Amino acid sequence: MSAPRRNLPFRFIGKRILQAVLTILGIAIINFFLLQLAPGDAAEALAGEAGTADAGYLANLRREFGLDRPLWEQLATFLMRIATFNLGYSFRYGETISTLILSRLPATLLLMATSIVIALVIGILFGVTAARYFNRLPDRLISLVALLFYATPPFWIGLMMILVFSVWLGWAPTGGMRDITAPDGGIAGVFDIARHLALPALTQAFFYLAIYTRLVRAGMLEVLSLDYIRVARAKGISEQRVAYRHALRNAVLPLVTVVGTNIGGFLGGAVLTETVFSWPGIGRLMFDAMLQRDLNLLLSILVLSSVFVVIANLAVDLIYPVINPTVELR
Amino acid sequence: MSAPLLSIADLKVRIRGNPQARLLRGVSLSIDRGETLAVVGESGCGKSLTSLAVMGLLPDGLEKSGGVIRFDGADLPVTDNEAMRKVRGRRIGMVFQEPMAALNPVFSIGDQVAEVIHEHEAVSHAAAMARVVDLLTQVQLPEPARIIHEYPHRLSGGQRQRVVIAMALACRPDLLIADEPTTALDVTVQAQIMRLLHDLQDDMGIAILLITHNLGLVAQMADRVAVMYAGRKVEEATTRMLFAAPQHPYTRGLLAATPRPGRRRPGEPPLTEIPGVVPAITEMPSGCRFRPRCMLASDICALEDPPFVDGVACHRAVSRELVP
Repeated sequence: MSAPRRNLPFRFIGKRILQAVLTILGIAIINFFLLQLAPGDAAEALAGEAGTADAGYLANLRREFGLDRPLWEQLATFLMRIATFNLGYSFRYGETISTLILSRLPATLLLMATSIVIALVIGILFGVTAARYFNRLPDRLISLVALLFYATPPFWIGLMMILVFSVWLGWAPTGGMRDITAPDGGIAGVFDIARHLALPALTQAFFYLAIYTRLVRAGMLEVLSLDYIRVARAKGISEQRVAYRHALRNAVLPLVTVVGTNIGGFLGGAVLTETVFSWPGIGRLMFDAMLQRDLNLLLSILVLSSVFVVIANLAVDLIYPVINPTVELR
Repeated sequence: MSAPLLSIADLKVRIRGNPQARLLRGVSLSIDRGETLAVVGESGCGKSLTSLAVMGLLPDGLEKSGGVIRFDGADLPVTDNEAMRKVRGRRIGMVFQEPMAALNPVFSIGDQVAEVIHEHEAVSHAAAMARVVDLLTQVQLPEPARIIHEYPHRLSGGQRQRVVIAMALACRPDLLIADEPTTALDVTVQAQIMRLLHDLQDDMGIAILLITHNLGLVAQMADRVAVMYAGRKVEEATTRMLFAAPQHPYTRGLLAATPRPGRRRPGEPPLTEIPGVVPAITEMPSGCRFRPRCMLASDICALEDPPFVDGVACHRAVSRELVP
């Protein structure tokens, strides 16, 4: 009975990786053509900044960047690069794209992990508490707070956080990831990053928090009315244990799905937060690349982003049966 | 005679904040050690509510508004959740109606049964698991050593009910409340489960409060029967007496509505139904609550709720002595 189940994930993962490759290829091609539709190119952006619109200069830049080649050839080059994991060169930054992305990725991952963990811990606590005190004061308060966070745009929360905690109270820096004067490691270095991380992470967390709270509350309300909860109570176990062990584990599945989506979408979703707090992450890199028509860089980030989504989805699918054994992978 | 194991006196339950909505109107029951008391009645008569009140597990929005519940010589603190936790699962076990929904889908059978043992006794996990295997053997599940690792969705309804029974009996309680334990199961499995409960009762000497609307089960299992209607007990007798000489018109109606092969006299209809349904809690009639459905109702029935005298609450009851 359990033997076939043990083999299943490998076949499942193999199948899913094949699907993932095709998905990413499709996304890459669609993105390539979408970006072609946008007016302007890197040469124009560069020339604009240099203050020259001389036709010869532009043609030179375009030849240098390969922008004068036919479209299909540009696409082929782009796809070859992805296939060989050699993403090419950003003319804008004068660095290879892999270097650029790798240097920005840790900041984004740190911001993502921190904000999602904060949102999960508080969201689960809020959601369970609200469900246990359904329609009573704690539930009303929590639901109101969740609604407020949900309805408020994250960038505005970010700006208000800066105003209150940086400008008025002076507790945290207004932006960036570390002070120039801060030591480059050790406890002081970690503390310095944490100080910079607090506001953007909280800003991002508030938005997720609102969603997680509502999801957990709804799930808990449904599960708490089920027969096996009454059976659990009839065993004499504590209300705490009934809620967090028996009910939550059953109520948490939709949350896993949404967290997976949030993780997958984080590269794009963090643009606003990263911009407001000048956080040196992928989101801002992508935003700048778009403004500067650095299509190579932009496309690479978009592809990376789709890889993220695919991995996050796969992870969610693999976690599902661990949390709920009635879910079987096929 | 010594004091009963469980005695419920004048138990009243109502909807919180609504004194008119009296769901239980003074129910009195008692069970001796090792005895089986069946509580029968239509859906909505309050039989499940009585058992939940004993467990201190009334649904949100309901409250006990009167009465005394005594268990093993002491008052049962049914409104004190923390105190009741030491009774639930340890002194009183409970088996519910829906085995398909009674087990948590995300925990293994072994974990769920062992949880009761861990809650009430300080034992190692290995010792608890060994006891779970014993228990599963006792409830006659095949391959208990394998089943402890299984999840509920891989078990049939009958198997799951056996697990629920094992869970209820894990700490050797004095009383088992079985609320419609076989209603959701098919007939052959019903018989097996009831035989199992009967055997376990003989082995362990537990008392059983059997809540059911199946009079066939009552005849097989129960020593005494209490019949409930619309929130109160209308008749109580030994099983033999109840079947031989039902006094309350409602009891007679219930028995007439139960198929009894071989007992049909020529010309008699196979089954007789009781006309109408149990009235809604907001539309209870004056006087006797069974009056609108009763063939024997007379003027006095509309005036006052009949008192419970000599095992029956009915103005028009036929005295048992007169029955041949």
